[in-house]
Amino acid sequence: MLNTTMNWIDDRTGLRSLARRVLDRPIPGGARWGHALGFALASTLAVDLVTGLLLMSTYSPSSSTAWGSVYYITYQMDLGWFVRGLHRFGSFGAVVLGGLFLLRLVLIGAYRAPREVHWWLAAGTFLLILGLGVTGNILPWDQRGYWAAMVETNIAGATPVVGPAIKKVILGGSEFGNQTITRFHALHVSVLPGLLVLCGWAYAVLFGKDGYHGPAGSETAEPYWPRQALYDLAASSAALGVLAALTLAFHGYSLDAPADPSSSDYPARPEWYFLPLNQLLHVFEGKEFIATMVIPGGIVTGLLLLPLLDKVIPRKFAYIASCSFMMTVALAAFVLIGVAVYKDARSETFRKDRAKADADAARAIELATLNGVPPEGSAYVLGLDPLHRGGEIFGKKCQGCHSLGDRKADEPSAPDLKGYGSLAWVRGLLENPGSPAYFGKTPQCNGMSKWKKSSQLSAEELDRVAAYVASFATIPADVTPAEWLDDPRVKEHPGRELYEGECAQCHTLGVPGDASERIQPAPDLFAWGSPRWAARMIREPGSPSHYGYLEKKKAQKMPSFGGQLTDADISTLVRFIKGDYPGSGKGSR
Amino acid sequence: MPNRRDFYRLGAIALGNLFALAVAVPGVKYLLDPLGKSSGGGEFRTLTRLGRLKVGEPQAFSILSERRDAWVKYPTEPVGSVWLVRQPEGSKEPVVALSAECPHLSCPVPLAPDRKSFLCPCHQANFTLEGARINEVAARGMDRLPVELSGDADPEVRVRFERFQPQSAEKKPLA
Ligand code: FES
Repeated sequence: MLNTTMNWIDDRTGLRSLARRVLDRPIPGGARWGHALGFALASTLAVDLVTGLLLMSTYSPSSSTAWGSVYYITYQMDLGWFVRGLHRFGSFGAVVLGGLFLLRLVLIGAYRAPREVHWWLAAGTFLLILGLGVTGNILPWDQRGYWAAMVETNIAGATPVVGPAIKKVILGGSEFGNQTITRFHALHVSVLPGLLVLCGWAYAVLFGKDGYHGPAGSETAEPYWPRQALYDLAASSAALGVLAALTLAFHGYSLDAPADPSSSDYPARPEWYFLPLNQLLHVFEGKEFIATMVIPGGIVTGLLLLPLLDKVIPRKFAYIASCSFMMTVALAAFVLIGVAVYKDARSETFRKDRAKADADAARAIELATLNGVPPEGSAYVLGLDPLHRGGEIFGKKCQGCHSLGDRKADEPSAPDLKGYGSLAWVRGLLENPGSPAYFGKTPQCNGMSKWKKSSQLSAEELDRVAAYVASFATIPADVTPAEWLDDPRVKEHPGRELYEGECAQCHTLGVPGDASERIQPAPDLFAWGSPRWAARMIREPGSPSHYGYLEKKKAQKMPSFGGQLTDADISTLVRFIKGDYPGSGKGSR
Repeated sequence: MPNRRDFYRLGAIALGNLFALAVAVPGVKYLLDPLGKSSGGGEFRTLTRLGRLKVGEPQAFSILSERRDAWVKYPTEPVGSVWLVRQPEGSKEPVVALSAECPHLSCPVPLAPDRKSFLCPCHQANFTLEGARINEVAARGMDRLPVELSGDADPEVRVRFERFQPQSAEKKPLA
């Protein structure tokens, strides 16, 4: 039964005779490990194809969703990290094996007549592999891919005359965006792989016609099956083993923070196999077209013309010239990669920038895990994060004068904001208002120190007042002073009476009293330390309820940031200062 | 040498299979990923304080919940509603939570005009205030949801919302 079916299939398709033709194909000079290189390359590309199809079932190509989908693949799906890692390391493997394959074709002399077309197909395959690397690298839309593509497309854009137009077409506009991703995606998943399969198929057909290239004058021949088959499969398995080992060792391929076009210190680098070109850019500074056009163009032209060299110079010299050309290119690439890696490893700035990029990536992944990606898109994972965005603003706007615990001020001239609004902060202030962490650096705000000199409160009493004042920070934004003062929990607060006796002599509580009754002017403390009080302080520190009185004294005060920061930024900043963010242990999600 | 040939032959076959398996096994696991992901019954959510509920007067509350779609999380929005029914002093459970989704065909169930029972407007399924069936329209009573009370003097009432298959006589969670 089985036999009849097989016979029928064979009769209609000729599969069996095809298999026999392949398995019995004679190898002049016998089976060789070197012959297995092509099979290893083909099987590595097959692994890339399979893993690529798997990734495609999850990946979502748009600037708002790409990062999220790759995050989901890498950190949420069963073995997603492995599939993606194998795809990525597989692409590296294909570049290496493709290069070695070309090198071997030249060294064994299998690139010239009658195999010129073999060679062109092989060279085309190699260029397609590089193209797949470039187009694939940008797809996660993370910092690494984004900035690498920026460098690479700018190289294309540097082509004289047509460059800018080419760049605009590739990017689908003058800026990186949705059109860039969809275009690179289309190239990466259909156009380039389609051409690659076509090249591979044509190569196989020619190979069927011309057979294995044996050493000159070999008389004996051995059939493909089984020895060469074993070599082929062993080489492929070894290649896959190395790629899987790399994937396991690095636990897949890392994902950088979502692409941020505004970042100023991301250490952009192209993929490692483009490092030589990048390095040449430095070598030919000022004459960059040499690095971006002349040299790569020369190499590609050289590759294409190699088999025709025989026609103009004697065969022997042509062979030597070809070998030297290939060896020089390979060696130069190797050395330049080495130089690039060595320089980066020694560069203090690179390491610092890279460490910051890694911290951003870790934070983005932590947030995506805690919170998911916001519907607005992956750019908002970090863009809305108080720790990341708020910390950035703090560094730019506040850190000149304020410190925040470990983040030291450049020139401390204002209170430390660590724990601002908390019981500990208030208690510390009441203990020693003149310390550098409080008003020690701002002699114009000496009211608290004056009070401290005359105050008789015991430690226990200070605890109670501090608890009362710290409770102001929790007053909800929609509660009015009258409502709040009427709340029985406020009325019966054990610190209230002390507050009325000590603090109310200077500070009002939302009810502006007669200024002349106050011993000296001081900020109103209603909702002090709450997000709204803090936001007002940042927006307009000179408002009457805050430090307006300093204006009258013509004393130095905090500048207002109302015009410089958006409302969203101010509330992000306040959340950062108050430690109210995901992962801080106390923040809301 | 037949031995050597056998070694090549078997070795080639073994390596070929090994290679295919090394890619196929993770691949299949990856493709079957959705099977391992539960839609999750949600968490307990605080709806009110026990003191605000009165015996004999069921009150409806919306369930606000976040929705996750693979990597995206959508902000909190109402996903369903529940009736909280305070039980008389001394009963085993101080409060019963009933899903407002009709066990017949999932219409939202309001109180009857006399406020003494639940009456579904779609096909007139009728339930007592405890959710038990009064007529035979639905195959089961209204679905009870798990309730948690906090330890405070006036405890917070927390409910975990879940959906169940309509029409069946048993209460089976929806996927
Ligand atoms: S859906 Fe409620 S009675 Fe039919």
